[in-house]
Amino acid sequence: MMEEIVFDVFARKHRGDPLAHVGYLSALDAELARVYAWKTYDEESWFEMCIVPRSQIIPVNRTDGPFARGGHGFDASLPSSTGSSTEEDE
Amino acid sequence: MSDVPTGLPDASPEVRSAFERLLLGLADTKRILGIRYSDWLLGAPSIEAGIAASSMAQDEWGHARLLYATLRDFGEDPELLEHDRPASEYASWDPLDEPFANWASVTAGMTVVDGALALALEAVLEGEYEPLRGRLEKMLGEEEFHRSLAHAWFNRLARSQGEGRERLREAVEAVLPATLRCMAPDDRSHRRLAETGLTLPAAELRTRLARLLNPLLAPLDLSVSAVQTEVPEGWDGTRGRGPGHPAEEAVERARGDLNRALFVE
Repeated sequence: MMEEIVFDVFARKHRGDPLAHVGYLSALDAELARVYAWKTYDEESWFEMCIVPRSQIIPVNRTDGPFARGGHGFDASLPSSTGSSTEEDE
Repeated sequence: MSDVPTGLPDASPEVRSAFERLLLGLADTKRILGIRYSDWLLGAPSIEAGIAASSMAQDEWGHARLLYATLRDFGEDPELLEHDRPASEYASWDPLDEPFANWASVTAGMTVVDGALALALEAVLEGEYEPLRGRLEKMLGEEEFHRSLAHAWFNRLARSQGEGRERLREAVEAVLPATLRCMAPDDRSHRRLAETGLTLPAAELRTRLARLLNPLLAPLDLSVSAVQTEVPEGWDGTRGRGPGHPAEEAVERARGDLNRALFVE
């Protein structure tokens, strides 16, 4: 069986806009993910779109968000030992 | 038809007829390819792959509509071409006559058939017929994503060790010879078009397809260059394809028979 990878999709509508997280997808590799991203999140005429393997996103202050859960190979001890995420922060 | 045909006014009737055959073949192939892709909106290996198949179906139908509309310049009625022809008059390429049986078959179809179709469009874009250029550039821009998806899936399956690889090989062997013949028919009609600069010679088209596909086919021990390309017995020179036609069910869907009769005047 071939294993799928989760990719997060970021895009901006206009030059100078902030790059925003618009969704995620699963794909067997980056090349398929590029095509899937462009065809799946096509509700806007994007100026720029990027994808990032979720495993490459390093959470900074939380260990309970989706990026932390999807972080294959990520040393989860790092944010928990240095982060300040608590329920009372919210 | 009240419109005065404006396409290729200085060309001989033979060349005009050959160019019409080429455009109708491309339009019909895109229409049927769209049907075949649409079958995989559900049942693809992933939701994302299904969405991509759906998107490609929409692209192909859009391209087909533009090409049918172009035939108005040759005195044809696009409405009749799209909605009032029997399957036996469809000039779509032979490999699409039946549905794709599995995802390996879809992958072979989008790599070999769709890839060859894009090359055929490129050849017209590089040719002498100016009115189509803007439309063809838009189509070929959209086709780049089809190619990316096709090649990514092809490489995945071709380099796998499982059943997918063997199914892919069978699917490629099933579509490659007929695709080559339809894309680059070595017949009088195509030769006349190439001589007048409206498309490329069959040999050049085959070379381009080999350049595109041979690196992909190598892991399967297949090659475009090894395929026999002579026009076979039963070749239909009027439609530019082999004998037979797309399955009736697909053509009924392409024409919109079921609901058009109810809801369209």
